[in-house]
Amino acid sequence: MGSQGKVLLVGDNPFHGISHLSQERSRVRGDTPTNPEYAARLIGLSVENGADGFMFSVSGTTLSILDILRKNGDNDGLRLYAIVPYAYEYVRLAGTLGGVPGLAKKLVREIVFSGNFRAVASGLNGVVRSDLASLVKTYLLYEVSRVKRSAGGKAKLESVLLHQLITDLCLGLGLDWIFKLYTEFLLKKGITPGFNTGNFALLVKKLKKWDIDLEKVAIAAPFNKVGFQMVPSKEECEKALADLPKPNVLAISILAAGYLKPQEAVDYIAGLPNIKGVAVGVSKEKHAVETFKLLKERLS
Amino acid sequence: MSAEKLKVAVVGFGKMGMLHAGILSVLPRVQLVAVCEKSGLVRRFLKNLFKDVSVVDDVGELKDFGLDAVYVTTPIASHFAIVKDVYDLGVASNVFVEKPLASNYDEAEELCGLTRRLGGVNMVGYMRRFSVTFKKAKELLNHGVIGEPASFSAYAYSSDFFGIDKNSKFHTPKVGVLRDLGCHAIDLALWFFGDFKVKNAKIDSLFGEGSEDSAFFEVETDDGVGGKFDVSWCVDGYRMPEVGFTVEGSRGVMRVNDDTLELSLNSGEKFRWFRHDLKDDVGFWLGAPEYYREDEFFVDAVMRGGSVEPCFEAAAKVDRLIDEVLVKAGLVG
Repeated sequence: MGSQGKVLLVGDNPFHGISHLSQERSRVRGDTPTNPEYAARLIGLSVENGADGFMFSVSGTTLSILDILRKNGDNDGLRLYAIVPYAYEYVRLAGTLGGVPGLAKKLVREIVFSGNFRAVASGLNGVVRSDLASLVKTYLLYEVSRVKRSAGGKAKLESVLLHQLITDLCLGLGLDWIFKLYTEFLLKKGITPGFNTGNFALLVKKLKKWDIDLEKVAIAAPFNKVGFQMVPSKEECEKALADLPKPNVLAISILAAGYLKPQEAVDYIAGLPNIKGVAVGVSKEKHAVETFKLLKERLS
Repeated sequence: MSAEKLKVAVVGFGKMGMLHAGILSVLPRVQLVAVCEKSGLVRRFLKNLFKDVSVVDDVGELKDFGLDAVYVTTPIASHFAIVKDVYDLGVASNVFVEKPLASNYDEAEELCGLTRRLGGVNMVGYMRRFSVTFKKAKELLNHGVIGEPASFSAYAYSSDFFGIDKNSKFHTPKVGVLRDLGCHAIDLALWFFGDFKVKNAKIDSLFGEGSEDSAFFEVETDDGVGGKFDVSWCVDGYRMPEVGFTVEGSRGVMRVNDDTLELSLNSGEKFRWFRHDLKDDVGFWLGAPEYYREDEFFVDAVMRGGSVEPCFEAAAKVDRLIDEVLVKAGLVG
């Protein structure tokens, strides 16, 4: 683990060609970071300089990166925080495969051919009874098995986090039973249930209201000095953070998508309570070395 | 209208239906009371999903809920029939439709006729008008910061269908790139510069005969400002759809897109704003901040009985211009 109990994670946005500052920035950056070989090298370098693990949306690209890390022997002790489903990819696939039915067919084929018989049985049950709970469990089993297969036994799948779009959609619709089901199911599997959210303050409030034990979940949410993507406000998010029973927050967007200098970004995070760790994306070797050296130094 | 909360239904529970339902559910003055969905399978799951929201399969059934407003978020081809039903059957007098308003100008104009006769608040989901970068651009243009606009170029790109083998049996959606994506750029241009006419147009089909995958067209506004549009859903590097403008004025140049706004003035001064700089805060974040602002704006207008932009009349102009592009490109007679 990184210094002072804080988990230092490599984020995967650059590996998907994402920049939340501007798409133009990611286009200028080029395709290099999206090459799995190069991405694996960046993770390796980050680990050499203080990173503990990798936070990633489960996709073809990130599974390839995990494959390479495993084959290179760079997975030993690597702490993994997997985000599911990779909603943007599924939205895009729905467009090219003929909407939700086309996407569902593809997913069913993948689950069947994955050879995960528990997942198949649970999924069949879900379809026959129109039972969403069974389908959610099926999907989670499928994703967990994909990650474990690619990452290998030496890596540790610490948490599976519900993707921001899904977390916040369920939050908006007040679907408390999905949060409960998700939490209970993953805890039974020995995996920390996590939620990636853009509405941190509201999520904390609702999880308390729904009697979901905040000590047993992880939350990934934006925290940065300029309040970028901190909804409804920086002050509300800081207040909700301070009220948590223990450090279980993984701060993301700490550089406000490259808007802030690393030093000032880390200074802000160091002053916050209840931060369990941070995830930062890196797109160049120099960047990987400098960023994680700084994180290790300043957060210790 | 109900005294306590605005009663709202969403018709069509696809991607946009879910998004608006999620946002509406957190707005304090709104109660999502019903969802109307054609697919039997989706309805079965929805009935298991929701505790307090009714699920129906026909717009007519929504009459029983005493609705204040309806959101229509179905595929574009069905907008006309559904919105017409909402008005004709007296389901609700306030209607929000996802963009574009209709499949052609004739349909759009007929819907405008209904709103002229029946009143109520009507709005179309051109959400980029609620984006902080485009709002700031509009404000700067109104204040003449770059002087009188002389010309502009606009793009609307996505990578939705980039990298797909052109020889495969794959077909891009029939609605075409102009009504799916290009309509945002056209709406913003109307908002920035006023009405215009299409001078010439070219449309390329990349995935089989009749598909409409990229479009290039030139326009001239009523004030004589020349404009160019480039629209495609097959461009690399646009994981998220992006719309942008470069506007040349007598005092400088403005570049604006979904993420940034840049000014380069003849005086030598340069300015740049990211979303971070433009107070991009909202009460709830789902999809993008502009969706929340858009829904809040519509709800507020319904509550106070006012009017909103972009209303059906404004959105019908987009449908008219798309029809003009198709005619100039020789795709329709």
